[in-house]
Amino acid sequence: MELNADVKESDHKATRVQGGLNFRLNAKTSEKIAFAFLGLSVLIVVGFVLVILAYIVYNGYNAINIGFLTEMPRLMMTQGGIYPAIVGTLYLIIGSMTVALPVGVMVAIYLNEYAGETRTTWLIEMAINNLAGTPSVVFGLFGLALFVKYFGFGPSLLSSSLTLSLLILPVIIRATEEALLTVPKEYRESSLALGVSKWQTIRHVVLPAAIPGIVTGSVLSIGRVAGETAPILFTGVAYFLPRLPDSVYSQFMALPYHLFVLATAGTNIAKTRSIQYGTALVLLIIVLGLNLVAVLIRRHYRKKLKV
Amino acid sequence: MTEGIQNVSKPQIKVENLNLWYGEKQALKNVSMNIPKNSITALIGPSGCGKSTFIRCLNRMNDLINNCKIEGKVTIESDNIYGPDVDVVDLRKSVGMVFQKPNPFPMSIYDNVAYGPRIHGANRKDLDGIVEQALHSAAIWDEVSDRLKSPALSLSGGQQQRLCIARTLAVKPKIILFDEPTSALDPISTLRIEDLTMNLKKDYTIVIVTHNMQQAARISDYTGFFLMGELIEFGQTKQIFQNPREKSTEDYITGRFG
Ligand SMILES: Nc1ncnc2c1ncn2[C@@H]1O[C@H](COP(=O)(O)OP(=O)(O)OP(=O)(O)O)[C@@H](O)[C@H]1O
Ligand SMILES: [Mg+2]
Repeated sequence: MELNADVKESDHKATRVQGGLNFRLNAKTSEKIAFAFLGLSVLIVVGFVLVILAYIVYNGYNAINIGFLTEMPRLMMTQGGIYPAIVGTLYLIIGSMTVALPVGVMVAIYLNEYAGETRTTWLIEMAINNLAGTPSVVFGLFGLALFVKYFGFGPSLLSSSLTLSLLILPVIIRATEEALLTVPKEYRESSLALGVSKWQTIRHVVLPAAIPGIVTGSVLSIGRVAGETAPILFTGVAYFLPRLPDSVYSQFMALPYHLFVLATAGTNIAKTRSIQYGTALVLLIIVLGLNLVAVLIRRHYRKKLKV
Repeated sequence: MTEGIQNVSKPQIKVENLNLWYGEKQALKNVSMNIPKNSITALIGPSGCGKSTFIRCLNRMNDLINNCKIEGKVTIESDNIYGPDVDVVDLRKSVGMVFQKPNPFPMSIYDNVAYGPRIHGANRKDLDGIVEQALHSAAIWDEVSDRLKSPALSLSGGQQQRLCIARTLAVKPKIILFDEPTSALDPISTLRIEDLTMNLKKDYTIVIVTHNMQQAARISDYTGFFLMGELIEFGQTKQIFQNPREKSTEDYITGRFG
């Protein structure tokens, strides 16, 4: 009897499920609903970005003038400009990209074009993936131990740039590898078939075709270099310096740390409100500006490559 | 079975007992063939029988494949191309290759043709002449002479393929390998390329893989029929098509299988 009841019960369920399947939204309605949700998500994201941008611009634009961009901070940083922080951040970008870009591209070329599918290659790839997921404060400590102490570069532009270049190396390697993978095999084959060596093929056909992808990856990393605080905190950024760094061994100021100092530990947090927003705005403009440059470079190469 | 060696007084390419494995799988079995200078040799056979594999042995493109093992001897003008001190890059300069899919580089028409000579160190002054001559030989000069700077990818498929031929000619090879050069093209473009290959025969030795029997019959002097990695029959095209010795050859060219 029991068994019978069970069977009946499941029979019943089965019919219900079938009934459920019969109840279908017609395609048009479901399309509309899906579209509405997708559209809403986009709106929310774009909305937030716009609100944040507007908020920073609204609060910051008053602070920005020639003096703000070209003068040293004065009166315990409650007055004057942020010139040394701007210069410091630009130096960091230049310094870390100078190291990380060529090294990253070369590593990617080696891994993608030369290294076979061996255990060693696999290990290297794993290491790079892990590096990409490491918190930036760990890079800061590592930079402190290696560059500041062991190599004796001291707290300096050099130590910070090298630390940041380690931080962005995995991003650049990954982006370059992806870009190399998208270059059709046919390009390589037909170049080799013309009696062109492997390296020349990479140099003259593969790399140019990969440049748009490499540039995109590099720009992502410029954003990180400009925005990171932890890695430079341990390795060279200064709380306040009334002058520009005069060599790679000097300490320096940087925009994100300056902002942090003003907003948390500054002498008068309320008094520097507009300087804070002004600093944030400048940081934003630098990153967006570099993004724009990257888009233009990419466009230029795309045009050259495609029809 | 192998009917490869025939009486050719001075073969330019001499293949002896060529065996090739992709991993465990044997793709070429004891292939021997003599290919004379300034001739067109067509290679025919059903899909997967090893035609591309064979032709890629002649300029060592198979070197690029990971677990590919080759045994036997390929001699080109008395050099064993698998010998220990052969420079593969030099070999590929003298044995050019045109692929199935037209694949110009994403550069201008001019740069595509100039690519090889430039890298091989041609004089800047000579470059224009080399490019023009190669485009003439590939029968595409008239169509592109007024837009050498435009992107190669803006050309039609058939034009792109002739551009690829020009690119190969610009390196001044002695032998040109064609792997189904017209299978992605329309009939008119195909005819143009067939005419072109027949003109090129004066100056080059040509080996062409094709699935098109009329094409093989129309343009080639010699024909080789492959089946499952073996060269079943090789001889003058007329003989192969009119009077094949092997039953399977006859079946294939009359369309009874493949
Ligand atoms: N890179 C490779 N790795 C493993 N096997 C391969 C490889 N390339 C070709 N083969 C195999 O070798 C055999 C011969 O292939 P090949 O490409 O030479 O044939 P084909 O005669 O050119 O055929 P098609 O007319 O379709 O082009 C096939 O069975 C194929 O699957
Ligand atoms: Mg093939």
